[in-house]
Amino acid sequence: MYLFRLALASLANRRFTALLTVFTIALSVCLLLAVERVRTEARTSFANTISGTDLIVGARSGSINLLLYSVFRIGNATNNIRWDSYETIAKHPQVKWAIPISLGDSHRGYRVMGTSTDYFSHYRYGRKQALELAQGRAFADDPFEVVLGAEVAEALHYKLKDELVLAHGIATISLVKHADKPFHVVGILKRTGTPVDRTLHISLSGMEALHVDWKNGMPARKGQGVSAEQVRAMDLQPQAITAMLLGLKSRIATFALQREINEYRGEPLLAILPGVALQELWSLMSTAEKALFVVSLFVVLTGLIGMLTAILTSLNERRREMAILRSVGARPIHVAGLLILEAFSLALAGVALGLGLLYVGIALAQGYVQANYGLYLPLSLPSHYDWSLLGAILCAALLMGCIPAWRAYRQSLADGLSIHL
Amino acid sequence: MNMTSTLISLTDLGFAWPGQNELLDIPSLTLQRGERLFLSGPSGSGKTTLLGLLGGVQKASRGTVMLLNQDLGAMSASARDRFRVDHTGYIFQQFNLLPFLSVRENVELPCHFSKLRSSRARFRHGSVAKAATELLGHLGLADRDLLERRADTLSIGQQQRVAAARALIGQPALVIADEPTSALDADSRERFLELLFAECATAESSLLFVSHDQSLAKHFDRTESLASLNRVKREMEN
Repeated sequence: MYLFRLALASLANRRFTALLTVFTIALSVCLLLAVERVRTEARTSFANTISGTDLIVGARSGSINLLLYSVFRIGNATNNIRWDSYETIAKHPQVKWAIPISLGDSHRGYRVMGTSTDYFSHYRYGRKQALELAQGRAFADDPFEVVLGAEVAEALHYKLKDELVLAHGIATISLVKHADKPFHVVGILKRTGTPVDRTLHISLSGMEALHVDWKNGMPARKGQGVSAEQVRAMDLQPQAITAMLLGLKSRIATFALQREINEYRGEPLLAILPGVALQELWSLMSTAEKALFVVSLFVVLTGLIGMLTAILTSLNERRREMAILRSVGARPIHVAGLLILEAFSLALAGVALGLGLLYVGIALAQGYVQANYGLYLPLSLPSHYDWSLLGAILCAALLMGCIPAWRAYRQSLADGLSIHL
Repeated sequence: MNMTSTLISLTDLGFAWPGQNELLDIPSLTLQRGERLFLSGPSGSGKTTLLGLLGGVQKASRGTVMLLNQDLGAMSASARDRFRVDHTGYIFQQFNLLPFLSVRENVELPCHFSKLRSSRARFRHGSVAKAATELLGHLGLADRDLLERRADTLSIGQQQRVAAARALIGQPALVIADEPTSALDADSRERFLELLFAECATAESSLLFVSHDQSLAKHFDRTESLASLNRVKREMEN
């Protein structure tokens, strides 16, 4: 214990380098823990993008492709599902609810999704949380009503009753606009931290109404267009949708129904389990995630090597200190212990300060990260994994401390008691 | 000669650094308990090496070094280290103190590494801190504020007295002083010797005083010259 007191006093005597070393280690530790926390939270929020849905059904393609466009609004469907296929599956005795999804239009870079009101009652994300409206109501009978995701409303400064024009296609700058049929905002959803926030929701009849006068994928020629008023009087039964989400009465039936849909004779369909597809997708991204982790590990290593350099450089100018200690009875093993304790104290202070920085950082950045990246960083205690990382850093510091300790041990044996510098 | 009163006895001592010619060849040297021996020798005469051998930092190539009737050569390196701190206090020429510790903590240092000296200090003064305070008081450093100051804020003369207090704490049988006065002016030198003698007498410690300053020799019980003790004749520089 007395050695510890000596180590601290000696460090305090070199407080400027010691503080710099502690700060270097603290920054690297803070970075490592921050990366670790973002990684964990990103994975959780990713896995929580959709829940409560047992099967996602789309035209036959790849499962990740289907997941990407139906849940993440990324990419396009290769093909549609016919309305009668939807009706057949929706009426299947095992199916509790079915949400149709129709994609393809956009508004200033945000995707537009046509769906039914079932979407608001059955869709779940996170820990089986339902969608909630922050303002207004869900769309109803009028086809030109739109419900905005939280981010859309915030980024584009829309409020209830605002009018907006949708664009055909999904490019940010679209040349073809549905300018003849404006929509008005009837509801804005609460923030979910999922792609729902970046979506404009309209009814299937609204989606149909936009394209009712289109022929062969082209807008109606001048004079042949159908006005919004005329459209309201028409039968807007859609002929096709892009995908559907299914909730089953019993989860045990999932695999049987999946097989049944995959073997559906009407048209080639694909049914996927969202959880499995999410796993597959995450494993694609895990390389980047691992790379980030490895980089931050190397930063910690750099911090520790900085500490090692600082201690080794100090050894020569501290030969007198060691000789004095030897003359008052410290054995070479004490001198070695002193240096190991010194390394350990620096690392311990660095780890403690790093933890402090992390929490201050999270407290400051929490709101910004949530608003901009939809990622909630909790101010929670370090996980077991975090603790084991910190423990490993301290062990590494102890191991590194053995290098100057060994040198000082040899040095103090050679120098003896008196050194005339 | 009574064996129990002999503190140090060197017999037929030889020492050479690895790969070099023999540096020391001393047939005999003894120091009695309570004796004050002045050992003169110019720099480069092997003084430091001899003190290293007496302290057990180095091991003799041949012959025996007996301290308190124990053969240092027969001990392991760590046993020699322990034996040294239990029975020997050191004062060096300069830079004796750890600058980052307080004056009092510097004096207490040996007691943290020697149980024997710690218990002696407690037995005689009640506690190690009291022992340090009393010793410093005897050496003319009674100011309480001064005790808690950083050691490097003191003058050289004060620092040497702190070093003396540290060498004497816990009453080691032997105090080795290696040119302790060379950084002091003539007046302080005499005064320092007086105080050192008085405290060595109180602690019943023998004093081995090494210096090239022959003018101090008259204060000592006995004088030896390393040049005449050592059979290895060296060409002196200058």
